[in-house]
Amino acid sequence: MRAQSPRRSHLSVLQPYLLIAPTLILVLMFNVLPAIKTVYDSTHRPARGLNAAGKAPDYVGLQNFRDLFDEAHYMGTRFQRTLRNTIVFALATVVIGVPLGLLLALLLNHKQPLLGLWRFAVFYPSLLPLIGAASIWSFIFSDSIGLANAVLKSLGHPGLNWLGDRNLVLLSVIVVNIWKQAGYFMIFFLAGLQNIPRDIYESASLDGASDRQQFTALTLPLLRRTLLFVIVISFIFAFQTVEQLQALGEGGPNDSANLLLYLIFQNISERRNWGYVNAMTIVLIGVVLTFTIANFLLFERDESN
Amino acid sequence: MSNRSGGVLRYFASVTKTVIAIVFLIPLIFTLLVSLRPETEPVTKGNIFFGSELTFENFERAIAIAPWSLHYINSLIFVAGTLLVQLVTVTCAAYAFARMRFLGRDLLLMVILLQLMIPSGVLLVQNFRMINTLGLFDTRIALMIPYWGSAFGVLLLRQTFREVPIELEEAARIDGANLAQVIRHVYVTNAIPAYLAFALVSVSTHWNEFLWPFIITRSEAIRPLTLGLNKLIKTTDQGAFYGQLMAGTLIVIAPLVILFLLFQRQFVESFARSGIR
Repeated sequence: MRAQSPRRSHLSVLQPYLLIAPTLILVLMFNVLPAIKTVYDSTHRPARGLNAAGKAPDYVGLQNFRDLFDEAHYMGTRFQRTLRNTIVFALATVVIGVPLGLLLALLLNHKQPLLGLWRFAVFYPSLLPLIGAASIWSFIFSDSIGLANAVLKSLGHPGLNWLGDRNLVLLSVIVVNIWKQAGYFMIFFLAGLQNIPRDIYESASLDGASDRQQFTALTLPLLRRTLLFVIVISFIFAFQTVEQLQALGEGGPNDSANLLLYLIFQNISERRNWGYVNAMTIVLIGVVLTFTIANFLLFERDESN
Repeated sequence: MSNRSGGVLRYFASVTKTVIAIVFLIPLIFTLLVSLRPETEPVTKGNIFFGSELTFENFERAIAIAPWSLHYINSLIFVAGTLLVQLVTVTCAAYAFARMRFLGRDLLLMVILLQLMIPSGVLLVQNFRMINTLGLFDTRIALMIPYWGSAFGVLLLRQTFREVPIELEEAARIDGANLAQVIRHVYVTNAIPAYLAFALVSVSTHWNEFLWPFIITRSEAIRPLTLGLNKLIKTTDQGAFYGQLMAGTLIVIAPLVILFLLFQRQFVESFARSGIR
């Protein structure tokens, strides 16, 4: 036993590194390295002309980014329209989806008959695959036999081209996203509400505070951190949830409802757009990174409090 | 006064709740109804709920378009293969970060947390390339490998492991347990709820995944359910066969919806912990 001791201690120095090695290597391979490669490739462009196939890409500095922000450039037009849509999509999800999630949490926060049914009704959309949710709504929004138009027609309206009219497609996509995410946001608010001690409300009631006063003076301030947290993650998610476009108009017509990650996905095998695809990925990473860091900072403050 | 306004408030609350629940349920209800009515019959014709007759034709047609049982098996292999490896990598790393002291620990944890800041979902293009470089294109491994390391899992379990009393580990060591035994019998046993939360989030995330499987596979033989549904969507596009599309959608979403019906509370609690995913 004693004789083994030096070798053992040798091994035990390495032990923690061996334990974290698999995770570390995978994160390096599929997150860190690709991110660095994206930066590098965003300043390059595939070689053109004859015999271009084997040639190394040309260094172009920030030209890819300049093109993306040039309204007249073919990729710039697409990118800017798409970026605008993405921001509208994210803002709409936050401005409508987050308060809806809070409302649902307030409604379902106490014991009541049929609680399971209510909870199922509002949370099941969050569990569906995005593409499944989109496929359901593609029927609801469909031109001739869809439910949305059936309702409109019964009200005497001729019906709308939800997935074909450039002014409506983005709206349709936003509706689906809110329907899908509100229940997910709700559960964070439910967790936040459960952390508020009951007796605070009891003493407030004894002091004669009305329900509305209790909500604005107690519930909202105490939920502030949860609210910030949900707002931040809803932004982060909004920039990454694009699969529904596959069944809801494919970003068209003319990118009028395209979203950034979907535009990247559409160009993944277009060799000539390789530089742009990487530059767009940098923009996307920049946005996600900003919100994630904000999230961490808020969290840190949470834990030190 | 307060009592009366409370009564009015409660009344409004239950009306709002009912309206929202109905609006949220309508898509699911109509998915079911449309899948059961004859294909050519619009919802405005005949009985709004059941049409002129009930039929399984749509299911038969949807089944003919894609090899669903194959897709089911592929999805199962995908989520199970991802989860099983994750459980091992995550447990090892979480123990090291929770209970061991070593040079560079905080720095290395930061590197792993980079995954939360730069999720592989946005790195589609480069990861597609990485898979090609590794010669893994169109393999099952390619589907799973980017997810085998999970910063979310490491963070969740590290937190849980830290709450396990250190005396339990010391007692086990005195009894002669080695590292593997300590991890298994002291830590894993005391972290089952955290594992369950992680497993539910992991399984439902990957069961629902579409973009990555779509670009990284070509053969139907390994493609998961979401890709079968995509094929059906593209077929439907050309002829507006919504009956068969809704039938196919139900085939895909049924397992998760049923699981959720059975394990509502666990799902809700697990997802409440997933914000940092």
